[in-house]
Amino acid sequence: MHHALHIKNGIVIDPKNGVKAEKMDIFVKDGKIVEESEVKGEDVKVIDASNKLVVAGGVDMHAHIAGSKINTGRTMRPEEMRVVRNIANKFRAAVGRVLLTSPAIGYEYAKMGYTSSFEAAQPPIGALHTHEELDAIPMIDKAALPVFGNWHFVFKYVEAKDIEKLKTFIAWALERTKGFGVKVVNPGGVEAWMYGGNVKSLDDQVPSFNVTPREIITSLIKAVEELKLNHSVHIHCNRLGVPGNYETTIETIKLAGGFSNDARQVLHVTHVQFNAYAGDSWRTVSSGAEEIAKTVNSMDNVTIDMGQPIFGHATAMTGDAPFQFTLHRLTGARWSNKDSEVEGGAGIVPLVYLPKNPVHALQWAIGLELGLLIDSDKVVLTTDYPNGGPFTEYPYIMAMLMSKKMREGELEKVSPYVQKASNLPAIDTEKALEEVIHMTRSLPARILGLPQKGHLGVGADADIAIYNLNPLEIDTSNDFEKVYKAFKTAEYTIKSGRILVKNGELVDEHWGKTYWVDATGKVDMEAIKPDLEDYFKYYSVELQNYGVEERWLKKPERIVI
Amino acid sequence: MIIIKPKTEFVVTVEAELTPDLAEKDVEEIKKFKVYYGKDVVELGELFEVTKEGDDKRLVLDGDFSRVKWIGCRMSDGEIVVKGSVGANCGAYMAGGKIVIEGDADDWLGAEMKDGEIVVKGDAANLVGCAYYGDATGMSGGKITIEGNAGNYIGEKMAGGEIEIKGNAGDFIGTEMKGGTIIIHGNCGFVGGDMKAGEIKIGGEFELVPTFVKQEDAWVGDVNVKGEGVVRKL
Ligand SMILES: [Zn+2]
Repeated sequence: MHHALHIKNGIVIDPKNGVKAEKMDIFVKDGKIVEESEVKGEDVKVIDASNKLVVAGGVDMHAHIAGSKINTGRTMRPEEMRVVRNIANKFRAAVGRVLLTSPAIGYEYAKMGYTSSFEAAQPPIGALHTHEELDAIPMIDKAALPVFGNWHFVFKYVEAKDIEKLKTFIAWALERTKGFGVKVVNPGGVEAWMYGGNVKSLDDQVPSFNVTPREIITSLIKAVEELKLNHSVHIHCNRLGVPGNYETTIETIKLAGGFSNDARQVLHVTHVQFNAYAGDSWRTVSSGAEEIAKTVNSMDNVTIDMGQPIFGHATAMTGDAPFQFTLHRLTGARWSNKDSEVEGGAGIVPLVYLPKNPVHALQWAIGLELGLLIDSDKVVLTTDYPNGGPFTEYPYIMAMLMSKKMREGELEKVSPYVQKASNLPAIDTEKALEEVIHMTRSLPARILGLPQKGHLGVGADADIAIYNLNPLEIDTSNDFEKVYKAFKTAEYTIKSGRILVKNGELVDEHWGKTYWVDATGKVDMEAIKPDLEDYFKYYSVELQNYGVEERWLKKPERIVI
Repeated sequence: MIIIKPKTEFVVTVEAELTPDLAEKDVEEIKKFKVYYGKDVVELGELFEVTKEGDDKRLVLDGDFSRVKWIGCRMSDGEIVVKGSVGANCGAYMAGGKIVIEGDADDWLGAEMKDGEIVVKGDAANLVGCAYYGDATGMSGGKITIEGNAGNYIGEKMAGGEIEIKGNAGDFIGTEMKGGTIIIHGNCGFVGGDMKAGEIKIGGEFELVPTFVKQEDAWVGDVNVKGEGVVRKL
């Protein structure tokens, strides 16, 4: 195997380093991007990228790829497992329609030129399961975000206004779960679900605790910023999937107002499409995207991702257990409820997005509105896989954001309800190729706090995608079919300097790293010991048996704060 | 008409979506038809002898096909005659034509079939005319006749068509049934769980789930799912 690569004559787009479609060569050695001088005298493999687009590997900052939710989804949806995906060649079997097997997830990402993906909701008590599954996903680098927003410890410290102990607890939890950052799902609402309810505003009191969603969110932001974690608080807002919820989303976004961070946002609001509904019922529902976009654009410390629905099959799986029950009642589809003791819960419901269904068409339109109306430096492209559909359709979203003509064609196929209930038909914006590259690479890497990802500067990880698309010639407004096709299947995917995909075929299998964040050095771990011992009497496991040891992971990568 | 005969006794199961469409091809082409033998893809001609007599759309499967799955899958016209027994999934998703099985049929006979006819001279195993796991609708049209007995799960999620069993059947008859008719001349076990619509007629003894309401000459339910299915004595 070659230690060094020379990617020759490609047309590079590298937004982080200000490279806008320039013909240049990229050099790789020992898994990193290096100066040309570094590869002199090496056994260099030359890749001819003439007239091709060279970019950093894609970074998916929010997907559900491992853990008890997707696995329960697979169990309750045998019909998803009848599709054999003939992409694995001589590697392992890859099966699944939208809910893929673990190997298929890695292979499909690699095929599309994506090289990192983050599991966005790890039930802390299910951490071992999540890591076992992450370790079964080949090709990509990974990490998991444990959920904190309904954990009794968090309620307790927020109630006591004890930020020091909250920080210590976060550090303890990230270490025990080998987690990367702080995810919050419907804060307080999942605890209310334990009593059959939900919270309806940021100021509702959580049953049995003297705390509100507002206090939970702001305390967690404060704690995360004081700990200086790589990634900010990553929130799935309250009132997801409820008409009228866009106001709660805006209120939540504004909670970031009092905080700042030089390197990144202080709050990432996820799959906003599901939280951007105006109106007061499913009959009067309309888009709240424009108002949300105004708020996000007016702030310099908040980012979002789209949660774009893709027409066809999907499976709703979130840590938002009360929402999942509502969805089950709404659609009549199968439902599974998951409980994670004093930490929260989750639910799973199968779903199909139909273009002629007014609500589905509106959801589709809202996702695109968010992608188009929000500043490209603040919105990341996601489908919230598999909630909005397959991640394999990211190229569809990329092409749609760049072409009004493509959107006009698609608008003709969907329910006319979107014409009156959303602004999508009136939006003329066409994102530039460079912006879409940013939204799928450099922006998510910055939001996650991974300086070595999402760009092609010297020192970056050699995660590179080469597409059969010449950015100097392509007319992204009109040649959307070509754009879609090019991004569906990479000519080359290079991961840590290894060629995994060549001419669209998988040629090598690679096991990526699992990042986790160790902040234990910044706190006094002794401070919460009595609390842990006290509270673990409510758990089904003993404190000493809780968590995941680093040596159990295939390729752990500890980031010390 | 083509005649297909197994060359050997199969060590592992064969998956072969043989339909009468094959009879329209020439013998050499038919022999190249791809089938699975265990995990390996092989040509039909490697496992079976193939001969052709005339051009009618008819397949005669001469011998023991009890380890050959998916016979007649998705067929839409023509006829298949099986001289022996067949493996699982025979006539699955079938949309037309006729299958006659002189021996026994294994599980999933006529699963999700839409139209056409299946006749079994011997017995059928479980899951006749059912929906595959995870799917919402089983058999929706056509007719399945079983001269002998059948196993458990008959017509689960069935929405149309008719299943007639001349002998006895097992448990779970017409579970989540939405339409169509099941006729059992002999005895059977539990009937009608979560039944929404359709009709089940039984000649012998049977056990009805308790959530049916007795009416003049029939029971109506399953009230658990506000069902209006009808179960009556033949
Ligand atoms: Zn999510």
